[in-house]
Amino acid sequence: MNIWTVILSADFLFTAIRVMTPILFAALACMVFTKGGIDAIGTEGIMLSCALAGPVGGYLTKSAVGGLLVAMATGVILSCIFGYFTLILDTNPVLAGIALNTLSGGLTIFVTYYLTGNKGSTQSLNNPVVPDVEIPVLKSIPVLGEILSGHSILTYVGLAVAAALWVFFWKSACGLRIRAVGENATAAGSVGLNIMKYKYIALVMAGCLAGIGGAYMSMSYVSFFSRDMIAGRGWIGMAAESMGQGTPLGILFSVLLFGMADSLAIRLQMLNLPSQLIQTIPYVVTIAAIAIYSRHRMQQGKKKIG
Amino acid sequence: MRQKKPLSSYVEMLRTMLAIFFSLLIVFAIILLISEQPLSALADFVLGPLTSVRRFGNVIEAMTPLMFTGLAVIILFKPGLFNLAMEGAFFMGAVAACGAALTFKLPGVLNLAAAMVAAAVAGGLVCLIPGGLKVKCDANELVTSLMLNYICLYVGLWVITTFFYDPTQNSNYSYKFGDAMALPRLIEGTRINAGTVLAFVTVLVIWVLVNKLSFGFKANLVGENKNMADYVGISSGGIIILTQLIGGMLAGFGGAVELFGMYQRFQYSALPGYGWDGVLIAIVARRKVEYVPFAAFFLAYLRIGADIMSRNSDIPFEIVNIIQAVMVLLISATAILSGFKKRLIIREAKEEEEK
Repeated sequence: MNIWTVILSADFLFTAIRVMTPILFAALACMVFTKGGIDAIGTEGIMLSCALAGPVGGYLTKSAVGGLLVAMATGVILSCIFGYFTLILDTNPVLAGIALNTLSGGLTIFVTYYLTGNKGSTQSLNNPVVPDVEIPVLKSIPVLGEILSGHSILTYVGLAVAAALWVFFWKSACGLRIRAVGENATAAGSVGLNIMKYKYIALVMAGCLAGIGGAYMSMSYVSFFSRDMIAGRGWIGMAAESMGQGTPLGILFSVLLFGMADSLAIRLQMLNLPSQLIQTIPYVVTIAAIAIYSRHRMQQGKKKIG
Repeated sequence: MRQKKPLSSYVEMLRTMLAIFFSLLIVFAIILLISEQPLSALADFVLGPLTSVRRFGNVIEAMTPLMFTGLAVIILFKPGLFNLAMEGAFFMGAVAACGAALTFKLPGVLNLAAAMVAAAVAGGLVCLIPGGLKVKCDANELVTSLMLNYICLYVGLWVITTFFYDPTQNSNYSYKFGDAMALPRLIEGTRINAGTVLAFVTVLVIWVLVNKLSFGFKANLVGENKNMADYVGISSGGIIILTQLIGGMLAGFGGAVELFGMYQRFQYSALPGYGWDGVLIAIVARRKVEYVPFAAFFLAYLRIGADIMSRNSDIPFEIVNIIQAVMVLLISATAILSGFKKRLIIREAKEEEEK
């Protein structure tokens, strides 16, 4: 097996889409946060808590939908707490984000321990999972069907949400108002908009998205929660949002890039290469992409001034 | 004559105290609610570290790495950046220290010193990357440093397992360093070692650097107003690079001290988290170098207390994370008590006028 047969296969792109899904939700959550003028750094911590809330909710309600709803509710609560501290109590967003991350890291282990008696995972709960679906027509197309069909329902939901968010933020009054509040709260306030109302709408939406992203990890990607399972996907979502320049299409391309880097890392491990170095690929790609994109933006900014 | 400090300057301290008080209150409430034997659990948590010399020794041992990363965070954040690569820098410091200790064949203390220098350099280089990308490309240092931490983890593990892996061990541990590399133990019955002394010396050095040399003043100015700094002829880019380098070196050095003070081989298989703890230390110390030992002692005490409690009761150790999170949130919530502070300032100003 050589490197090209690894990359040039339908399986490679299928895996890319699979690993891209949680990052897509994270990036969309970051996009909504940013549009509302709220720092997106809480996303990682919110997702981690929701990754536990999903299976626990599913276990208690005995349905995957129930699990997703509990995860989303958890996301909304945490996102509103983050919003309350940063907007009302003036906490530095970076510090609040770190705090939320620390809190989730501890609380999830705490709750896991109480429910299952071990600190590692919730495997023993046997919670319901979100099923994968074959798309009728599409699945019978050769190659394309292999790549695009058979993903988790949540993957398709994510793509639909990306499209819906474009309509919401660029075509609807409420979305445009959120953007106005996010870009210049004082100006938006002076024309009579209720700033806090629109900020909280953004917080609730972003919390829901981060919640689904977290739940995807524990109810679809694998079928249980394990400690620290978000492993930086929330941070990568932030990176994807800024690289995608805050538009759904840009974000989709960025997360696909990360998905491919991740998929490459997974596939290369089958070859006899040092696996630890290969695991750095997605992170190296992220740093390189941000550096190039930022430098490009900086030079453009200079041109405008000059 | 030295002027008397106005009351309003104590509001920050009051908020810190209140935050500590409330976070402990919340955690005590959790323990009382869910534990089967709440009183003995609480007693272990609060008084456990005082019950034996060994346990109190554990507190001092746990304090040492926290002092280094606390200092690192204070310096890294000084010019207004949020570089979180101290986590990776601490880890890479330990990796470099292990590599140097097993590669160099210098006699005795020289080998130890060389390994520590290697660790500081490695840590410095790690934190330099997000700082450099910020200055050169205006890349968000927060995101790049978070990504960098994962790279540090995997590269570090690769270095250890590829070059220094001891096949006689069941886990991915390195070879033993040898007795000459261990920092000398200072107190019988504990593992308190020369590393703690090094940590206090480092606090002193950094205190001088920040408070007595022009560097500290320049770094503060860049943090408060970058344009102003550039305008008066201070190269803000240079100061940013220098602070990130020094901050990273502190974290890397801390990694080496922890490794040689507490371990005989490299044993980490994940990021140890001391970098994140450094953020709490810096916040509780209100970014003042001289308060770092107190903050580190406080967190170390909580850790050891929680550890004792988790071994004797049904409360898991991770309860400390909840305290840490609530504390960070409340201490940095500047709006709390800000009305009170304003009223104090106004009253003081009026008194001043009447005089």
